[in-house]
Amino acid sequence: MSTSSNAYGAGIMAKTGKAFADEYFSEENQTVHESNEVVLVLKKSDEINSVVHEILLGDRKEDNATLIVEDRAGYWWLKATGKIEIDCTEVSELLGKHFSVYDLLVDVSSTIGRAYTLGETFTITSELMGLDVKLQDFETAAA
Amino acid sequence: MAISAATKAATDALAVNRAPVSVGAQEVHRWMQSFTWDFEKNRTKYSTKYKMANDTKEQFKLIAKEYARMESVKDERQFGSLQDVLTRVDAANRVHPKWNESMKVISNFLEVGEYNAIAATGMLWDSATAPEQKNGYLGQVLDEIRHTNQCGYINYYFAKQGQDAAGHNDARRTRAIGPLWKGMKRVFSDGFISGDAVECSINLQLVGEACFTNPLIVAVTEWASANGDEMTPTVFLSIETDELRHMANGYQTVVSIANDAAASKYLNTDLNNAFWTQQKYFTPVLGMMFEYGSHFKVEPWVKTWNRWVYEDWGGIWIGRLGKYGVQSPASLRDAKKDAYWAHHDLFMIAYALWPTGFFRLSLPTAEEAEWYEANYPGWYDMYGKVYDEWRARGCEDPNSGFLPLQWFIENNHPIYIDRVSQVPFCPSYCKGASSLRVLEFNGKKHSFSDQWGERMWLSEPERYECQNIFEQYEGRELSDVIAEGHGLRSDGKTLISQPHTNKNGKLWTLDDIKKINCVFNDPLKAL
Repeated sequence: MSTSSNAYGAGIMAKTGKAFADEYFSEENQTVHESNEVVLVLKKSDEINSVVHEILLGDRKEDNATLIVEDRAGYWWLKATGKIEIDCTEVSELLGKHFSVYDLLVDVSSTIGRAYTLGETFTITSELMGLDVKLQDFETAAA
Repeated sequence: MAISAATKAATDALAVNRAPVSVGAQEVHRWMQSFTWDFEKNRTKYSTKYKMANDTKEQFKLIAKEYARMESVKDERQFGSLQDVLTRVDAANRVHPKWNESMKVISNFLEVGEYNAIAATGMLWDSATAPEQKNGYLGQVLDEIRHTNQCGYINYYFAKQGQDAAGHNDARRTRAIGPLWKGMKRVFSDGFISGDAVECSINLQLVGEACFTNPLIVAVTEWASANGDEMTPTVFLSIETDELRHMANGYQTVVSIANDAAASKYLNTDLNNAFWTQQKYFTPVLGMMFEYGSHFKVEPWVKTWNRWVYEDWGGIWIGRLGKYGVQSPASLRDAKKDAYWAHHDLFMIAYALWPTGFFRLSLPTAEEAEWYEANYPGWYDMYGKVYDEWRARGCEDPNSGFLPLQWFIENNHPIYIDRVSQVPFCPSYCKGASSLRVLEFNGKKHSFSDQWGERMWLSEPERYECQNIFEQYEGRELSDVIAEGHGLRSDGKTLISQPHTNKNGKLWTLDDIKKINCVFNDPLKAL
């Protein structure tokens, strides 16, 4: 079992019964607390399983050491601090066929954080895109 | 063959300067955003008190061609799975009978939400001025049409391929008598499509979709799989692949008003009202469906809620917006209390009113009672011992002459309906955040279960005039109401709803109900 604070069963989730209730109802937990994490839900499929195993937990594992991936039956649940990025040109190379960022979106089931595409890259970030950081246009990025 | 001079000139020119064989979708997207409309004459069904900026972005840079290709692949995968392998392995008959009943509620109710979201996002398209924001809303209109069809299809699939079709087919005909329908219409319809356009967006996109679709459409698939249901993950996870763009639409709606002076005055109130509106229904209903409508438990509902609603939606969406003045919802404390207890309260009432439903319910087994007590200390003394009493009095047996509703009457625990949320509650026997408040307006009494709904009602009481079942059927006998409200199976005498899911158990008929002579009373008349 992972000891990461980003794990599905981390923190209060590891507690049961009265211990859970005590923390859940504690005064400090009666308001929301700002979080710099992001959550990504990927629907399991032939391509997505490869992305998870060969890229996110493979070649790109060192990119973000906080990334946690958990198997939740029909989907992969991912949580990381900061951001998660998937470059679909790398996925195309891996799969041996053209795989655009819109092919990836076929199986991206949910996002908690600010998700966007730019060229062939999918990003989900804790940054406030459009408020703190400008969302880039494709043309601007290419220039 | 000779070619014309013009064709030759064109061929020669192309030999020197090759024309592009394709243009990237995002290049097209960028080019299309330079088009705009004359917004001087823009009109909307409902205006908004906020001024939406006209430079807001659509985060996925989607054009119609890529959208259509993407959605067609999703549908091919979904329908391919359902019509091929899942039918071949007889998947619909492998579902645990308790979960089969839960899906009658979840998929039928979600269908209504998706249908109303079509209108909601159409209204937002009317309201927005930024071309990219309009593009995002337009994509969502199309998505919601797809989702409405998907929800209808999964009910059709369950009804055709699976077990106990009654309730999967034509559930809507029971909408007048089922006490869960009107609350569902409040969150899934009224909250999405009536009132200030931005407030509707906050209800639909920032709270409904960014917050509650995660337990409703994502986490539900884990419960489904655990209970033998592989159809729901196939369809619901496909639905959710569109929701991320809807969440982005909701976020960009907030971005578009972030610098408007009205936001500092109204946004926190609108957010709190939307959060309470949505949680007041989703929190107890989803918790009830997950825990009481399953045999195999994934985790306590309160943990699911704590993860998806409090920690992730609260921290990652709302918490991060704190520096722009967005505050933690004032009603969060009561919502957390509800997440722990309200689904237990609601199940008790739902079971007591079971003849008015369109799905079967069953009391927790001894093994399940242990699970509840371990995860919700104090559960047995409040709920478990009552269920033992109901079971001992034969609540599942049509010959017993006992409806659990009688227990509430005998013990002087009247059930009221909250005027704003339309959710039933029993103030003298509950552990959730409900207490009775009664107000009079235009010679009519109104009951409320909490200060948050009461505040909303006080600001626009004319909005909440929906009759509840106790007012509508005051003085009427129960079997008469069930027959009138289409609560019967195709044989014309057996109730769609039943108080057990035992395949070999006796089914209650209209005659069994009639013998009990249960008459509707409006509890507000006694006050």
